[in-house]
Amino acid sequence: RAVVNASETSFGAGEKPAPYASATQYNNFYEFGMSKSDPFENSGKFTTDPWNVTIEGECEVKGSFALEDLLKGIDLEERIYRLRCVEAWSMVIPWVGFPLAELIKRFKPLSSAKYVEFVTVERPKEMPGQRSVFSTIDWPYREGLRMDEAMNPLTLMAVGMYGNVLPNQNGAPMRLVVPWKYGFKSIKSIVKIRFRETMPPTTWNDLAPQEYGFYANVNPEVDHPRWSQASERRLPNSIFSPNRIPTEMFNGYGEQVAHLYKGMDLRKWY
Amino acid sequence: MVLTLTGRRWLIGIACALPLIYIVQAIVRVQTGEWNLLGPEPGKAITHFTGTWGFNFLLLTLAVTPIVRLTKQKWVMPHRRMLGLYAAFYVSLHALAYLAFLLGWQWGELGREVVERPYLLVGALSWLLLLPLVITSTKAWQRRLKRRWKQLHQLIYVIVALAAVHYLLQIRASWFEPVAYTLIAAFLLALRLWFFAKKKRARTS
Repeated sequence: RAVVNASETSFGAGEKPAPYASATQYNNFYEFGMSKSDPFENSGKFTTDPWNVTIEGECEVKGSFALEDLLKGIDLEERIYRLRCVEAWSMVIPWVGFPLAELIKRFKPLSSAKYVEFVTVERPKEMPGQRSVFSTIDWPYREGLRMDEAMNPLTLMAVGMYGNVLPNQNGAPMRLVVPWKYGFKSIKSIVKIRFRETMPPTTWNDLAPQEYGFYANVNPEVDHPRWSQASERRLPNSIFSPNRIPTEMFNGYGEQVAHLYKGMDLRKWY
Repeated sequence: MVLTLTGRRWLIGIACALPLIYIVQAIVRVQTGEWNLLGPEPGKAITHFTGTWGFNFLLLTLAVTPIVRLTKQKWVMPHRRMLGLYAAFYVSLHALAYLAFLLGWQWGELGREVVERPYLLVGALSWLLLLPLVITSTKAWQRRLKRRWKQLHQLIYVIVALAAVHYLLQIRASWFEPVAYTLIAAFLLALRLWFFAKKKRARTS
């Protein structure tokens, strides 16, 4: 576990982060398998160095960049965010990263860039989930944000957690963290960023559009067709207490992001 | 068979209790400090574990008749009752684990949960249908009900089908296990249809 230098912030003051073992041994990363222990168990051979990220689309600065060049001059900070999974569990995680907006500015997006698309690495040799014949996902994994969502100061590009570099199973070497949206929006192991005029196709929305919307904002009032989103299980919990807590609108980040959705029917744009 | 009937009963009875012994020791270890042994959602892990074993025993119980008929291993037959009772036992533990660990005994939530998650209703029905079979599992009831006993215990076909639906309705991305269980259940039920058809043919010819 290589230590990274990050300045402290006031994000998540008073929150109690999940133990490192919970955050790193229990998560969804279907590239490494379907069960929540698979990412931890199957990501040991995943190589993240060297790592290149391709920048494409509606922007002035395009091309393939080595990760270290991309991050040159960027100051890292620690932010403790609540992560709410669409499956109705949540964890508090101390991320290390920087605002996505800082990175985006370097590429000088054109005024035609209305959306940002992100793509995860496709490497079936190192990612057993991508080789699996049982998978219903059309690899590589894709996600996207509207430009104003991407530029919001809360939107974080993470390269570490718990004061260390990101473990493979949590999306090394660089992943998105969008704390007011369900976890699947926070795409891992990013190799491509594309500025677009139109809404990009996104993996879960393609797979089950009636269950997973493009926006996927945390919303206790709009249930998943098969379960309620009104409450969540804050993990880790104990055997005799499910630790159910009410889910907050925009995962409690409404003050910073509610204005982005003014006038939108959030039942329609779930 | 080398072992006597009683010897086999003991052996199978203990083997069937192994999953219970495993999960009880895991619970004890979690509660005494090894908090991460069952992961950050131990209640859910226990619920899934007992549910899986309930289904395993349902399938084993359903497999007894075809095994005896197709392999002529008649000694298996007297053990079907115990397998069935263990199935009901693990399914009951599964229901109890859901109520205690996932619902946290919040009965008020139950109504909302059931409406939102139809698989709960299907699972609950499957469990309820097991109860009359448990009650009438004794020799005394078998004698009292005569031919009706067999008819009553054919409810197991419905119970297994409901269990499969209960599992299938929960598919998110990993459909392998629910589909595998359903295929095995469907195969065992299809064998029954084949047996019935054969019997009918034998009777009419």
